[in-house]
Parts: sequence; structure tokens; C-alpha cells
Amino acid sequence: MLSCHQLTKRLASGGHELVVLDHVDLQIGRGEFAAILGPSGSGKSTLLGLLAGLDRPSSGEVHLDGERIDNLDEDALSLLRRRKVGFVFQSFQLLSNLTALENVLLPLELAGATDARVRARDLLEQVGLGERTHHYPAQLSGGEQQRVALARAFAPRPKVLFADEPTGNLDAATGARVLELIADLREREGTTLVLVTHDREVARLAHKRIHLRAGRVERIEEGALA
Amino acid sequence: MRLSLVFSAALRESRGARGRLLFFVLCLALGVAAVTGVSALVASIESVLRSQSQELLGADISVDARRPIPESIDGYFDFGEKAERVDVRELATLVAAGGKTRLVELKAIEGSFPFYGSIGLEPRGVLGALLTDSKCAVAKDMLVECDLKVGDSLKLGGAQFEIVAAVLDEPGRLDMAFTLGPRVFVSLDGLARTKLEGFGSRTRYKALYRLPRDPGERVLRAARERLDNEVDDAPYFRVESHRDAQPALRRSLERFESFLGLVALLSLVLGGTGVAQIVRAWIAARTQGVAVLRAIGFRPREVLAMYLGHVALLALVGSAIGATAGSLLPFLVPIVAPELVPDGHQILWEVAPFAKGIALGLGIALVFSVPPLIAIWRVAPVRVLRNDVEPLPAPRIVTVAAALVLAGGVFAAAFAQARDPLYAVSFTGGLAVLAGLLVLAARGLVWCASRLPREGLNPYLRHGVAALARPGIGVTGATVALGLGVLVVSSMVLIDTRLTERLRTALPPDAPSVFLLDVQPNQWDGVAAKLRGMGAPEPRSVPVLTARMSAIDGVDVKELSQKRPDDSGVGRRRWVLTREQRITWMRELTPDNKLIDGALWSDPEHLEVSLEEKFAEDLGVGLGSRIEFDVQGRRVELTVTSLRKVEWESFGINFFLVAEPGALDDAPHFRLAAARLEPEAELQLQSALADEFPNVTPIRVRPILDKILNVVSKLALGVRVLGLFTILTGLVILGGVASSTALQRSREVALLKTLGLTRLGVMRLFFVEYALVGLVAGLIGSVAGFVLSALFLERVVDTAPQLPWLALPLAALAVAILSAACGLAASTRALRSRPIESLRG
Repeated sequence: MLSCHQLTKRLASGGHELVVLDHVDLQIGRGEFAAILGPSGSGKSTLLGLLAGLDRPSSGEVHLDGERIDNLDEDALSLLRRRKVGFVFQSFQLLSNLTALENVLLPLELAGATDARVRARDLLEQVGLGERTHHYPAQLSGGEQQRVALARAFAPRPKVLFADEPTGNLDAATGARVLELIADLREREGTTLVLVTHDREVARLAHKRIHLRAGRVERIEEGALA
Repeated sequence: MRLSLVFSAALRESRGARGRLLFFVLCLALGVAAVTGVSALVASIESVLRSQSQELLGADISVDARRPIPESIDGYFDFGEKAERVDVRELATLVAAGGKTRLVELKAIEGSFPFYGSIGLEPRGVLGALLTDSKCAVAKDMLVECDLKVGDSLKLGGAQFEIVAAVLDEPGRLDMAFTLGPRVFVSLDGLARTKLEGFGSRTRYKALYRLPRDPGERVLRAARERLDNEVDDAPYFRVESHRDAQPALRRSLERFESFLGLVALLSLVLGGTGVAQIVRAWIAARTQGVAVLRAIGFRPREVLAMYLGHVALLALVGSAIGATAGSLLPFLVPIVAPELVPDGHQILWEVAPFAKGIALGLGIALVFSVPPLIAIWRVAPVRVLRNDVEPLPAPRIVTVAAALVLAGGVFAAAFAQARDPLYAVSFTGGLAVLAGLLVLAARGLVWCASRLPREGLNPYLRHGVAALARPGIGVTGATVALGLGVLVVSSMVLIDTRLTERLRTALPPDAPSVFLLDVQPNQWDGVAAKLRGMGAPEPRSVPVLTARMSAIDGVDVKELSQKRPDDSGVGRRRWVLTREQRITWMRELTPDNKLIDGALWSDPEHLEVSLEEKFAEDLGVGLGSRIEFDVQGRRVELTVTSLRKVEWESFGINFFLVAEPGALDDAPHFRLAAARLEPEAELQLQSALADEFPNVTPIRVRPILDKILNVVSKLALGVRVLGLFTILTGLVILGGVASSTALQRSREVALLKTLGLTRLGVMRLFFVEYALVGLVAGLIGSVAGFVLSALFLERVVDTAPQLPWLALPLAALAVAILSAACGLAASTRALRSRPIESLRG
């Protein structure tokens, strides 16, 4: 489903070049749940960005759903993300001037879905926000905002969901609830999940744990630990 | 992407945009009001013309000439059925009544004149039926002025007339045209009795036709063409149909619309730069949102469409407000300038200027938002993961396209306003150059501010200078916008003050104040003695002969004139060839004439003529050209041997054509005299001349100058008001910049307060900062305004500029204070923020 080969990202930083990712090779199967682990600065988010087509590598290849994406232009990447990819972020990234429902509707409308409203309401019900569809992000708690973000991410039925520290800004209990929801939705929709975290507890549920250190794959663990 | 998504996204984006909405709407509304106002005004004047076109002409077709109009041309206007014709003659002459004499415009009519509309009379009646050969009707104003009433009598030329009615209203006589005096109507038989017609008088002949039905534009044009080709005198006839009534008025209306329309467009374009500023600040605050949209899968152009939709929505609101205000402007005219609106004319709300205002407002807002919205392409989608991402480079094609859209949009707007591609190109190019210079100047100042040593400065001033140097808060944009506003206003005021002043002092102390037409050669001694008796120091006179050109360099004028553009177009060049020319002769040139080429009376072989340079240019002749004149049936050929430059402003007696003495002396001619009299003596002159020299027509210069001055000052008022709009727009833009950085500012204010500064102290800081922006903009703008007006006055109007240099610092200071006030007003929210907010981050 998702793979990369010799993936490298270099950034210019204060006059010299910084190697953020160094020749990374990975394979993630369809419907799999992969966790990317590592300390701060190990290149987790960079890897996620490259795999999701948000950013372009300095060298190496990325394949998503049978399509090579590292050499696509901005427009083609946009279309790819629109059709195949969903996101959940640590800082929620809801659009502050849209209500919960409108935030979820946005990708559906973009895809031209005919049942957009029904689907959006249904998803908000599933994440337990059926009563709060007309609230603005500022009127919701962190956990609620992240649940809206989840509904938005799953709305267009993406093939792959990328989650960047989705529980990082939440307290332990709320975080656990959000993780449960992600797992439930993934099961139901059959979505491949790539999740970045530095929380080993979170990673226990994953089929595959990819440990990064200083931009390199340190080791890969297979099989859920739960 | 579907349109409905653009629309709903635009609506959603408008939430919580109150501050942005206010400034955006104001920026546009001012400019749109100016643009709509001008075209609404023109439209309502046009509707006056249109609704009265048949009445203005008094007929379906009018043929107008300085010579009798033969009945042989009637056939050209018979379209199936016979057209009805009446004859009218007009001339300026003196009337004596109740011991007073004054200049009037005499109109001799017959039968059913006018075919359309009616002459308002008191007591009520039909003019044609009232006038017999000894009866006349007189303008009400004149009756009051000369203390006359219906039933009294007056003397015209050699005949007595009884006044049978007062004329209250006459269609076709809008007060916008300059008239020499009040109207007096007589019948054609009455005119014959006065013996005023005949040699030397400047009678205007008119044949008016009423057609049984409207033959349509095409048939009429064909008839005109046939007339032109088949009738010898046709070049001397001016044929008008009611469809093109008042062509001169229409032409000046068009020029008025082009000029004021472009001035108004300036404030709208300025509003556009304001929109650009606001959009820039807004998109900067939305970077994260754009990144999210991009991550979700929106392509940059789809994000652009969403934001443009939002711009369009706001622009629609602003334009609607501006267009409503502007389109109501004509309703103010009866209050401000009642003389422009004929009695009983109903001013109607016109939809076209309203629609044009909305279209221009919308268009300008959209094209000015495109360049700042390029920022969308620079937002890297990966920003959703990290904040420290380098912006992407915008594709070259996008930046180029945005610039083209902007330039094309401004050009299109200018074309819509001026309806002339050349004007539109000059407007767009000139604006680009000016804006470029202002940007350079503003950047230079920012550069200087960032390098100015700030240690020794007062802390408030230091902060202000530092704020000027701070990157990316739109100082450059605000400076340019405000500077452009100051530039427009200062140059308008400078140019118009100087021109008005010149007009007001146009009559030099030794210039003649009265001209006398139609003095017969044998009357001159008597007239001169009379003038001296009334205190004129040196009455002068020159011989004048009227003649038409018959050929140039052997080519018949008729043939030449057919090759020229029709005189309904610009330049009126055909008319230059066919009109009646006035020629004088003299041995030596007067001091206000300067020879610029050739030599005076230097060719002993030929009869010579000296031409005014521009006139020669219009004719298309030069030194050595041979011009043949038809002098009352006799052909005389004159050779051009010199060209002159005439200082027309001297108000002396000057001519395009000056012949060699001896060439034309024998031909019948009259003398044109000029004298300088005190204003009181001028008033008595008419009566003094009337008895002895009834054929002599005195024309006073002062009232004519006053009339011109009146019109010019009204136009200038319009320009000043429009200029004010540009300044206002500039200030609104500054306010907009101040308010759009409010969030940033409120953190800054909270921090400053945490550091112990009082609110008053913060206000002082801001005051200094905005005052500095204003000072800089005011200085750049007024210096540019001075340069521009100096260039315009010197190069275009040929006038020494004499600019008030003291106004420069004053203007800069005024703008500084205004801008500080505006900046503070727009920062009130930021000023209210509490110290605790700085801790929350």
C-alpha cells in the first residue's frame, strides 16, 4: 500500500545542510496500522509528511496505492491527497471560522460527494459529537476538536490515514478515548493507518512499529503487543 | 470545483471579519461613489438632452449656414411625403428701448416655428401667430432689466416694434451655451423692416424641416451624403437631425466624462490598492488555514477561487453602497447648480451608472486581490506538521499572470471610463510609473529608517522610526496609497488654482475690454471719437474681410474637404477648410505676434499671407503654399511666406490670416475695433452707439470671461471633490493596515503595558509611528504632485508654474496629523488589550 525506498530529506539550516532523513526504506501493507516512534528530532514528522505527499524528498522514492508520488507536481499531489489521504494532527488544525459540521463537510464537498451532509453528520455521531455539529472550534474542548478532526479525516474514505501525535495535546484519558475512536474507525473503514508518536503505550496497538533515530530506521517491530 | 462550494466558502470566510469588512467596504465604496457619481451626472445631463432633442432642435432636421439656404435642397428631405420647412434667421444686434440700449440675440421666425416643443410666453399664446411685421416678443429678463412691459415698444435697427409677449422659456437654449444677450423674436417680415440683414452682418440662416414620419438613421445619412455630393454649397451647410442634437454640447459632455471619469477612477484604483493591502494582511493571518486546505487536497487555484469568492462578496457590498451613493448625486444638482437643469425637467434614477459602478468596483477589487493572493502558492502544505517551513516559490507563470491580470484590469477600467484606448494606455502606464516611483521612494525611506542610528533619539521617536523599518507590516503599501492620494489632490489643487488665477487675471491691464464688430470703414472716425470721449485711451481698429478658401495649391477645397474626417469627429478638420475666414492686413505685426518662420512681405512677385502656426498645421500648409480665396466672387491667390506665433492671452485683435497690405484693400470690408473702457463706461457704450451707429455691435470681454470662469470653477470643484475622495481612500487604507495588524499590535501593546507603559504612553508611541508614515507619504506625494503639476503647466498649458513651495511642508504636516488620527482610531481595540494577554502568548 505504502512504501519508500532510500528516502532522504536534507534541509538547509544556518548555512550548512542538515540531513533530516537518511536513506529510509519501508513497506506498509493495506489495512495495516504502522506506528513511527522516536525521540524529538528523529525525523518522524518529516517521514510522515513525505509519505503523505505533503512534502517532497531530496532523493528516494515514495509509492502510495501503487502510484509513485515523489515526483508529482503540486496540483497532482493535491488531487492525490484529496482522493486517497486523510490527516489527523497534534494541534487539530480545524478551520476556526467553520463549524464542526462545516469542517467535516469541506473534504466531502471538495470530492463532490452527493451524500456529504448525511455522511458528515453520521461521522460526527460516531465520534460522539452529534449534538455539537454547529459549534465553532473555539467552543469545543481539545478532545472534542480532535474528534471533529477525526471525523473530517475519515469523511472522504481515505485509503491511508496519517496521524501526527494525535494525542500529544490531550490529557491521558481523553487521549485514550481518541485512540480508541481511531482504532474503531480504522477497523470499520478498512483504512491503512500511519501514526507518529513518541508514546510507547500508543504504539502497542500497532501491527508494525518503526523506530527512528537521527533520521535512520533503527529497527522495525512486527505484531501487536496488546 | 463547483461554484456552490466557492460561494459557501466565501460566505463562511466572511464570518468574524467585521474589521476587515469595514475597511474593505469603505475603500471600495469611496471610489465607486466617485466613479458612479460622474457617470450618473453625465447620464442625467444626457437624458435632459435626449428627452429634449426634438425640442432642442425644434425640428426633425435643421440645416444651418452663414448664407441663405436655397429651396432647392428641400427635395433631399422628402422621404416619400413632402417635408414641411420653416426658415429662421439669427443675428446679434442692438436694441433701444426705454432710453436704454443693449445687445440681444435676435431670432426671426416664420409660421409654425418651432415644430416641436413650444415657446413659453406671457401672456400665453402661439409665437408664430402673434408676430406680425411690427410685433416682437422679448425675454422676460430683459423686460425686467430695461423696465419694460408688454405693450411698450422698442427699436431694432431702423424700425419700431411693439412688444406683444414676454418669452419665459425657449427649448434649445440651455444656459450652458454662451450667449451674447437676451432673446428677441420677430417675424421674417419684421426682420426685413429692420434692414439689419445684408452686407456685413453675421446672420445665421436656418432651415428647419418636419418630416411626416421618421425615416430612420440610415436613410437620413444617405440623404446627407447625397446632399454633400450634389449641392455646391453643401460644405457650408451644417445638417443636424434630432438624433444628433447639440453636437457641440455632446462633445464637451464626452470630454467632461472622460476627464472626470479618469480622475474618479484614480480614487477607485487607490481603493484597489487598499483592497490589496487588506487581502495581504488577511491571507497572512490565514496561512495555517491555507495549509490545512492544501493538506486536505485543495489545489492552489481552488483555494484562490474560494478567497476570490470572498473578495467578490465583500466587493459587492462595498460597490453597492458606493454605487447607491454615487447614483444619487444628480439629485443634488438642482440644489448646487440649478442653472444646469432646465425648468420642469424631472431627474430620474439611472440604472446604467449604478451597474457600471458595481462592475468597476467588483472588477477593481478582484484584479487587485489577485497579486497578494499569490501567497496561496507559497504556503507549503507540510506547514500543517511544522511551523518553521520555508515558503515555496510561487510558480513564475502565476506571478506573471497576476501582474497581467492587474494591468489588464486597470486598462479595461480606464477604457470603460475614457472610451479611448490611448487615454486608457496613458492612464495605466502613468499610474504604473507613479506607483513604481512611490514604491521606490517608500522602500528607500524604509531602508534609511533601518539604518538611522536610533540611540540618541527620544524613546517615542525611536519606536516610531523602528516601526517604519519593521519588515512586512505594509508600511510600503500604505505609504504608496496615501502618497498617491496626496499626489492626486495636490496636483489637482495646484493646477486648478494656477489656471483659475490665470483666467481671473487674464485681462492684462492694457488689454481691450470691448470689441466692436461691423464698423463700416467710413464710420471709424466717428466711432473712435466717441470711444475717446468715453475715456478709451487708444481705440484701435483693423480692417476685416470675410472670404472662403476656394483652393489650396491648385486643389479645390471641396475636393480636399471630402478627404477629411467628417466634422462630427474630433478635430473638426473639414470645418477648418470650409468655414468663412476672417482676414486682415497690416504693414507691421503687433507685439503679441512673433514670426517663427519665413519673412514678412518678402516676396515682391506674389501677393502674400502670413499664417498662425497652429492654423497652418490644421490646414496642412506651409511656407510656399498657395491659398486661393473667394472674395465676394473674385478669386485671389495668396502665397504663404511667413508663420506666426500668436499670444492669444493678450486679448488683442489677432487673426489666423494676415494678408499683405494692398492685396485685398479694395474688397468690401468692415473694421473690427477694440478699446479699453472702465466697467461703467462699458455699460453706457451700447446706448451711446445705438442711435448713430445701429449696425455696430459691441462685445464686452468681461462678462464672457466671467462665464468661462464660472464653468471652470464648477469643473474645478468637481475635480477637488473627487481628489478629496482619493485622500479619504488613502486614509482608510492606512486605517485598514493599522486594523489588520491589530492582533499583532495587541500583543505588542500588552507587552508594552507589562513593561510599565501607560495607555497614554502607548498612544503616544502609535501617534509618532503613524504620523511618521503620514509625513513620509505626504512628503513623497506632494513633491511628486508638485513635479507633475509643474510639468503639466509648463509643457501642456504653457504657463509658468509659480507653485507655492510653502505648501509642501504644510501638506506633509497635515497628512501626518490626519494619518496619526486615523491610525489611532483604527487601533482602539489593540490599545485596550491588557498586560495579562502578553503572558498567554
